Amino acid sequence: MNNSDPGKAGSFSRRSFLKSIGTTAVATAAAQTQSIAAELEKANAETTIGPGAVPVTLQVNGEALKLQLEPRVTLLDALRNYSSLTGSKEGCDRGTCGACTVMIDDTPVYSCMKLAIEAQGHAITTVEGLAKDGKLTKVQQAFMERDALMCGYCTPGFVMSVSALLKKNFRPTADEVRHACVGNICRCGTYPRIMEAALQAAGVATAMNKTEVITYG
Amino acid sequence: MKSFAYASARSVDSAQQMVGDNGQYLAGGNDLLGLLKEYLVDPKILVNIKSIPGMDKIEPSGKVWNIGALVTVAQIESDPGIKKTFPGLAQAAADVGSQQIRNVASVGGNLAQHSRCWYFRHRDVLCLKKEGDMCYARHGENKFHSLFTGNNCISPVVSNLAIAFAALDAVAVVQREGQPVRMTMAELYAKAFDNPTAHNSLNPGDLILKVEVPVTRTHSAYLQTSEKHEFDWALVSCAAAAKVADGKLSQARVALGSISPVPHQVKGANDFLEGKTLDDATASQAADLILKNAKPHGHNDYKIPMAHAMIRRTLLKLNG
Repeated sequence: MNNSDPGKAGSFSRRSFLKSIGTTAVATAAAQTQSIAAELEKANAETTIGPGAVPVTLQVNGEALKLQLEPRVTLLDALRNYSSLTGSKEGCDRGTCGACTVMIDDTPVYSCMKLAIEAQGHAITTVEGLAKDGKLTKVQQAFMERDALMCGYCTPGFVMSVSALLKKNFRPTADEVRHACVGNICRCGTYPRIMEAALQAAGVATAMNKTEVITYG
Repeated sequence: MKSFAYASARSVDSAQQMVGDNGQYLAGGNDLLGLLKEYLVDPKILVNIKSIPGMDKIEPSGKVWNIGALVTVAQIESDPGIKKTFPGLAQAAADVGSQQIRNVASVGGNLAQHSRCWYFRHRDVLCLKKEGDMCYARHGENKFHSLFTGNNCISPVVSNLAIAFAALDAVAVVQREGQPVRMTMAELYAKAFDNPTAHNSLNPGDLILKVEVPVTRTHSAYLQTSEKHEFDWALVSCAAAAKVADGKLSQARVALGSISPVPHQVKGANDFLEGKTLDDATASQAADLILKNAKPHGHNDYKIPMAHAMIRRTLLKLNG
């Protein structure tokens, strides 16, 4: 894949031209929909909508997602089943397992316990939106390097929780990582690797292959 | 989830108007979406109250702090002023759920959240709380249930904030039929003590506006014990607050959660602590008074010694 990457050739290729056009168009569209959403909100104030489908515009990973949704559709459902963003996972669907964690304005929340209609006007980031231009973030890279996953189902949620933590706390302690991740469950039990990955992404030195003794009670 | 209509309110009056007889208020939604997904409530309309201006503020003052009902639990946990003035309240907030929950959970929603009893939460079980004819927990699985109650339902109050607010003698301001009504934490839950179908004293359409917290008590503390270290409901929670001068307590208040449908408070124990210097013996005597007449149901017998220890530990935290 690297061999055919037009960016590496350093020349002005058709692909990079189209790519830049695409980004500009998306940015413009995003700005427009934001102002439209604000006007809509004003016009719709105190107006009852639903229970049938209504137009809903979500700002996901910098792009406007225009959907027709009933008010009862959760943000998780909107992402997975009404568009093709299946990175956020459905585990418990009750705000307990954390597999559905997304960021709303840089704050981690359970997308299964949020109505999509209520996420309008906010910047939503899913796991798909972390990597920029095909380059993984430090957190994603660290999860790969430390092999911080077994079945991988909980991984998007953990990556979001750790990413959100590192946005406001650049050098967290192991306890702070643990506190930030209590809302995510890994049933394979690869917590020590996730801890290592989080600390590596934060640039905090960790001892490889160290077995942690957990005291109960 | 069944379908429902949706509206955003711009004022308290219009919120109450829109919610009508068949609606529910929506703030953080953690509790409400859970109830909807289990088909335990069937509102025709959800009224978003986050759009009401002015209800999301923490307003400090020399005498009484006003905490808006839309302030998030995460804000309470991290507000430097609250940490300094009401450390017990900040701790109670920090022990709520996970960060994903605290980031959206509101003060009003935490106070008004419904029972966590597993019989109530099971969509196929018609228990006393759902106007059935028996409490299944009494003779069933009751390890999370109450030691005190005035009726046959033994589902306890699980709001962390209610327990911390009760110890601080805070008052909830509730909009009822166009008028603000002030309710102590005891009053906010009183109805649940006598009436099995109630989980608090709020009538349909009532809306919690804010909580007023007096600064009278200089010291406060909150502790809870759960099965999990974090992200779990308390088996027993305890909050204590008092004015401490020269090592002596005055206006001390102790409240416990998860052992009664109301924040469990015993006036005799509060009176006993007046003017006392706190040591283990005093704290232990207070705990004896608070837990007198506790009625366990088998699986929750452990809650009595646990509550005793929690009261002692929480009270001793007031010393420093």
